[in-house]
Amino acid sequence: MNSNKPTAYNNRLGIKGWVYAGRYTFERYLYLGHRVSGLGLIAYMVLHIIETANRMRGVEAWQGLMALFASWPFKIIEYLLFAMAVFHAMNGVRLLVTELGFFLGKPREPVYPYSTSIKRHRPLTFVIMGLAAMIIILGGSSLFFP
Amino acid sequence: MSDRKTTPREITFQVRRFDPDSDVAPHWGEYKLHVHDGMTVLEALHQLKAEQEPTLAWRSSCRMGVCGSCGMFINDLPQLACQTQVLHLGTDVVTVAPLPNYENVKDLVPDLEPLIEKHAAVKPYIISLDQIEINAPTGEFLQTPEERESISQFTHCIKCGLCLAACPTVATDPLFLGPQALAQAYRYSADNRDCGLHDRLEAIDLFHGPYQCHLAGACSQACPKGVDPAFAIQLLKRTLVLDSIGFGKKKSSVAKIMPLADVVKAIEEFAPPPRTV
Amino acid sequence: MRETRLWSLHILVLPIIAVLLGMHFAVMHYAPVFYGMSVDKAREFSTMIERGKSVTQLVLYILLLAAALYHGLYGLRGIIRELPLTPVLVKVVDAGIITFGLFIFAFGTYVTWWTFSYKIGG
Ligand code: HEM
Ligand code: FES
Repeated sequence: MNSNKPTAYNNRLGIKGWVYAGRYTFERYLYLGHRVSGLGLIAYMVLHIIETANRMRGVEAWQGLMALFASWPFKIIEYLLFAMAVFHAMNGVRLLVTELGFFLGKPREPVYPYSTSIKRHRPLTFVIMGLAAMIIILGGSSLFFP
Repeated sequence: MSDRKTTPREITFQVRRFDPDSDVAPHWGEYKLHVHDGMTVLEALHQLKAEQEPTLAWRSSCRMGVCGSCGMFINDLPQLACQTQVLHLGTDVVTVAPLPNYENVKDLVPDLEPLIEKHAAVKPYIISLDQIEINAPTGEFLQTPEERESISQFTHCIKCGLCLAACPTVATDPLFLGPQALAQAYRYSADNRDCGLHDRLEAIDLFHGPYQCHLAGACSQACPKGVDPAFAIQLLKRTLVLDSIGFGKKKSSVAKIMPLADVVKAIEEFAPPPRTV
Repeated sequence: MRETRLWSLHILVLPIIAVLLGMHFAVMHYAPVFYGMSVDKAREFSTMIERGKSVTQLVLYILLLAAALYHGLYGLRGIIRELPLTPVLVKVVDAGIITFGLFIFAFGTYVTWWTFSYKIGG
């Protein structure tokens, strides 16, 4: 190279490549959901530890906080958190087994049209997501909004 | 529906253009072409170049899905231009862009060098403990059909790089080994003739190794050869976890050897019938 | 073996989180079902102190704290380190996450211990 002029264009997608699942399959969207819910959960967990430490400021401070959490806006936030946790945990069970190589079938000769490990474990994916939806709708609503 | 996939008609091609000598950023060129049934995107590009846009650049060679040169981002999915029929895409406007997650050298040409470097980094060859046999072979290492089938699909990789273009982790992490190299790390480590897992650890048991795969599955969707790299990566994770707690492949499991004399006999036995013309 | 060990732990703590988080939910949100107690009652100061006296609860909460923090912060580290960072930033991120994790763990443990050793009226 005799010139230091950039010769190529950086075509890396960046964070857009995490967020934009475009025409890829369902599991590509679950990846995004798992990441967002994971971030939400760890953020919530840290806040939760700090917030419940309010007990050390005495009975009044604690009861005041609990009264605040019993209000509608916080009930809705709590329900969303519950939904997020259920989604992450259920999808996490799927990832737990598949990332250790289970439920993916066996390696085989690639014969067109190709079957992939992703397609082969899709029944599991659907069952787990169905269960997650049921827990979120039935379990959640009956207890958070009695 | 099936009509749209066979009826010859005019298709608008939006092709991403970039000339490193004059452009700082890419732009889109628009071309119209009458497309007939069975025409591939690669053929369309050739015709556009011949008739309308002589400066259009891309890379291709075998035009039959073997060399892995013609990977492009066609209608927002990484695909081989030579294996993608224009009408099968089902749209009247077809977008053709260079593969994402690589440096774009010119027009539709990605720089695949990082792919090749990562491939080489995982030692993609049989590492045998039997150095004496390797250096002065007395026969052939044996592999049963089952042993062969357990790695067969992962050997079909043509290094087209579509999987890295699809991978969300590669989108931000230039150091991530990526589906191609990790699949090859598994392909060789799982081979019954190989004892090289521990030699590969230095290259693969890293932050930028298999655990940055989160099973989004996009690589396996993109793979034009049915390699299913995501599958290989999960199997690699299992192999590494088992190995770390002492359940790895036994060091002594060097493949059995078929003596040379038997190899010659076997070749004769399975020789084709004599030529008739 | 380094990353494999770290990741294995990220996965191994999951059964612990699943069971203990389930129990935490049962106590805090499903009290009417499991304890015949209203959610408001379950969250009262006195109820909390009463629960907090149990050694089992003390141990389990600290375990949940450790497991969930490890799992969550290892995940967070993974996400941050997938960004293109300079070698210096990589060190800063790793050290920062470890320090932050230890700090939050110590703080959470202290609060749990405070509840355990709280003397009513004292
Ligand atoms: C029973 C409950 C849970 C299960 C089964 C579970 C499962 C998983 C699994 C399998 C992964 C790895 C995903 C991958 O490698 O791509 C993961 C990632 C993660 N988890 Fe969990 N998890 C649970 C609870 C939690 C909790 C309580 C938190 C927060 C404190 C959390 C935060 C995270 C984060 C931040 C990630 C990283 C996500 C990413 O890299 O995209 N998880 N979880
Ligand atoms: S030209 Fe060889 S794979 Fe397309």
